[in-house]
Amino acid sequence: MWKDLVDLLFQAYEQFSLLPLFIEIALAFIVIAIVATIVAYGVIMYKRYRSYVHEKRVAFISPIIEELITEQVLLNENLGKDVLIEEIEFDQAALANKVYKKPFVRQILIDTLIQYRKNFRGEVGDLLRKLYIDMDLQKDSFAKMKSMRWERKIKAVVELTQMDISISDVTILPLTNSTNPSLRAAARNAYIQLSKNEPFKFFDIATEPLLPWDQLEMFKIITTTKDIAIPNFSRWVSYSSNKSVVSFCLKLIAHYDQQSAIPAVMELLNNKDHYFRADAIACLGKLSAEVAEEKMVRIYNHQPLNCQIEILKAMGSIASGKYLEFLKTEFLYSSNFDIRMNAARAIIRHNTQHSRLLVEELMEMTHEENQLIIKHCLNPLIKY
Amino acid sequence: MSNILVIEDDDIMLKAIRNILRKDGHEVLTAKDGKEAFEKLDNEQYDVVITDLMMPYANGLEVVSRLRANTEKRHVGIIVCSSVGNEETITEAFRLGADDYLKKPIMAGELMIRIRKLLANRSSNLKLVTKKK
Amino acid sequence: MGATFIEYASWFFETTVFIYGVGLLLIYAILAILSFANIRLFLRKESYTDYKVIVGSPLAPGISVIAPAFNEGLTIISNVRSLLTFDYPNYEVIIINDGSTDDTLEKVIKEFSLVKVDFAYDVKLTSKPVRGVYKSSDEAYAKLLVVDKENGKAKADATNVGINVSAFPYFLCTDVDCILHTQTLQMLVKPIMEEEKKRVIATGATLRMANSCEVDEGVLINIKAPRPLLARFQELEYIRSFVLGKMGWSYINAVPNVSGGLGLFDKEISIKAGGYDPASFGEDMELRMRMSRYVYDNKIDASVRYIPTTLCWTEGPTSVKIFMRQRTRWARGLLQLMLAHKKMLFNPAYGRVGFIVFPYNFFFELLAPVIEFLGIIYYIFLIYFGLVNWPYAIILLIFVYTYSVMISTLSVLWDQLTFQYYKTWGDVARIAAMVFIEMIIYHPLIVVFSIRGYYFQLTNRKHSWGNMQRAGFKKSKSTLPQSPTTQAT
Repeated sequence: MWKDLVDLLFQAYEQFSLLPLFIEIALAFIVIAIVATIVAYGVIMYKRYRSYVHEKRVAFISPIIEELITEQVLLNENLGKDVLIEEIEFDQAALANKVYKKPFVRQILIDTLIQYRKNFRGEVGDLLRKLYIDMDLQKDSFAKMKSMRWERKIKAVVELTQMDISISDVTILPLTNSTNPSLRAAARNAYIQLSKNEPFKFFDIATEPLLPWDQLEMFKIITTTKDIAIPNFSRWVSYSSNKSVVSFCLKLIAHYDQQSAIPAVMELLNNKDHYFRADAIACLGKLSAEVAEEKMVRIYNHQPLNCQIEILKAMGSIASGKYLEFLKTEFLYSSNFDIRMNAARAIIRHNTQHSRLLVEELMEMTHEENQLIIKHCLNPLIKY
Repeated sequence: MSNILVIEDDDIMLKAIRNILRKDGHEVLTAKDGKEAFEKLDNEQYDVVITDLMMPYANGLEVVSRLRANTEKRHVGIIVCSSVGNEETITEAFRLGADDYLKKPIMAGELMIRIRKLLANRSSNLKLVTKKK
Repeated sequence: MGATFIEYASWFFETTVFIYGVGLLLIYAILAILSFANIRLFLRKESYTDYKVIVGSPLAPGISVIAPAFNEGLTIISNVRSLLTFDYPNYEVIIINDGSTDDTLEKVIKEFSLVKVDFAYDVKLTSKPVRGVYKSSDEAYAKLLVVDKENGKAKADATNVGINVSAFPYFLCTDVDCILHTQTLQMLVKPIMEEEKKRVIATGATLRMANSCEVDEGVLINIKAPRPLLARFQELEYIRSFVLGKMGWSYINAVPNVSGGLGLFDKEISIKAGGYDPASFGEDMELRMRMSRYVYDNKIDASVRYIPTTLCWTEGPTSVKIFMRQRTRWARGLLQLMLAHKKMLFNPAYGRVGFIVFPYNFFFELLAPVIEFLGIIYYIFLIYFGLVNWPYAIILLIFVYTYSVMISTLSVLWDQLTFQYYKTWGDVARIAAMVFIEMIIYHPLIVVFSIRGYYFQLTNRKHSWGNMQRAGFKKSKSTLPQSPTTQAT
């Protein structure tokens, strides 16, 4: 019996080896393709089954978790009664439910708590944090930190940051220099939020670019974390050689209206990179830096278009009134549409009696297209 | 006791606000998108409407605008509660007639105080109106 | 003498086809691997990404959503409404009424309290004349801008107007009747914001058929696999072309085309490249090629990225006649494009575009239908002269069949790994069934329609895609989505 089978296979192989090469390859691939197709459908079915089970579990557990949070946190009797959050005790029986021992439930619990924290700060937010700590969920997060997979590490860092749990410098600092950009960004955000000493330390040492997407999160953390000491960002504007750090600092300077940074920002007007200069000019505009006006007008003629437009915009927000003549000339005589448009906008933004008269005057003396520009800029329905 | 409509597309937030406000003694109805919101606004009178900005069918600014344009309903207190925090959106909301703007994450206590204030203002305004009559 | 010539010719033909076939199969195998790697990377990032952060941020870059509309009176209101509900803090919606002959414009004016405004803009891209620009007097619709223009008989012409009047540095190109996910803007802008050194000039995402989905006032309620057979074939084709094809190409920065149904573009580069070409039959891919030329000519290190998430649902043609017109048009577009940019083929000055994107499209998209067609003729010839080695022919046929089934199955698997859009097993089975019959029913149609397109293009026949046809589409409740790649084999 066995011998027959072996013989048969042997014969088949002999037959096979007599075939031309391309037919052999084709036959081999037919087998591979059929196997791969069957495996693929197997995986699809398995995956769908898994997510079906997962959905079921989530559907079962979500109401329980929601009830826990509602009872223990949202409707907690001690809220709003001048009781310190640290002293509020949860109902231990509710927390001791066996389901909270299962890893997947704990993960859903963490995710849900974070969801709530994104919606609530203040007392409720603090109490959510206390629940996270009292249920030892930070241990789960710290365990994830040890994972070899970078996305798990990031998730851990994000969870801890969201819950405002401090991570020791020894753990977090190496990650701020990770070769993985996403992990680096998450670690830096955590460091800014959680470090009590020098949250902005890595601004000094960062050599890799600070990606725009990561700036979003960082900006949010800097502007919303309580008791963070906001430094004078002009420090990095003057000394950092990392362009993305400088341009991020420009945004922060504008946000915090750091008037003392104006001289440092003005230095950037001499920078060689014109995208950079444009950022600096925009920042000066937002700071309403009247002292910078004179220099901006002086350098105006040597600037590329994007910088010229930024200068006009900045003059619109500074609106000192000293350079209306300059704006008028640009509006009347520039051959570039965008320049005329922004000059007109800048004049209109002055919104003084003088500027309004100037607009009327311009309306009379200029040609049709320019009149249209003025009408466009005056129309409150058109915002951009 | 007052009638409040909460419009919010995030299920967690919707239920949370509902629970908190109910505990505070208000009658709370909810809508999970713009369409449901308009239906509920048509069907009933509210003292305060709390609305999110970004949601399916219609955005919160439309809710504000429609309420203010409606002579019967223009006195409703409106609180916009959104994660959008840029200046233009906030001023837009106020220009359209929102009474308050809370940026998420919100403080539950603050929300309740603002509602109480709105209700207080509203009742004193109503008294004024009735006195004049 | 004659016999040797025939032998020689058939040897040559067979060898060429063999090499070509092996090349094609290899490319698909490589694409499957690359797309898997890329999707995995995407999913890993997705596992911790919080998109809410951009919604609440003052640093979100501005995006102009541009949607041309022609005779969409029936659905225009709900479509505009749904465009106004993106989860994004900094955008405007520009509707271009492309000289509709129905009440599209009137309806929009009434619903959104529009008034005509004096609107100044720079004509950076030429187009048919603009008749008027409208803004809403209700501040709740401050994001909305409506432009009324004369019909330009091409989506390109309308989109160019939208680019001219747009205010933001990025624009989203779409169709007014596409159903877009509310997270579209945040998800498409992310690849642009997280690229370290390159400038991302365009991003795109997967498109799917809206045919059997439940839609309420422009909002997607329930996603279903299409029931009509033709649309179901297209769904499979789109999945393969986007999830397997574009994701694979994206991994090595060689995306051939950003679909006209949904794409986010860098406005500065688009304008400098000259905008959309109204004379092109495949304006989306044509613009992508010109943008590439521009960035290479100007030494800008650029990239085009795709994400596997489905963000756009579009109605696919369900009648063979309309489908034929669509594919004929795409084929014409491809041929037109290849001829116009032939200088780029194997041109080292154009880097990956010259060495990967262009050759791939030339040999495996443009020539594929021709070679297949010739192959069939050749086989008929062989059969006629009784020269066919039947066992071998059948083995080869089975080989091609099983291989293509495998590739399609893998793309369905990749898609299922990404997101399980279909709620039921039945929907998956419906798509999976197409995998097995596509080769026999759908694929021959595509080959024939492509050849038809090439023929029309070479004989310079007037293509009547314009008002008449679009009106026709509307009646049958379908649209003319732009090519996912120009075709997917």
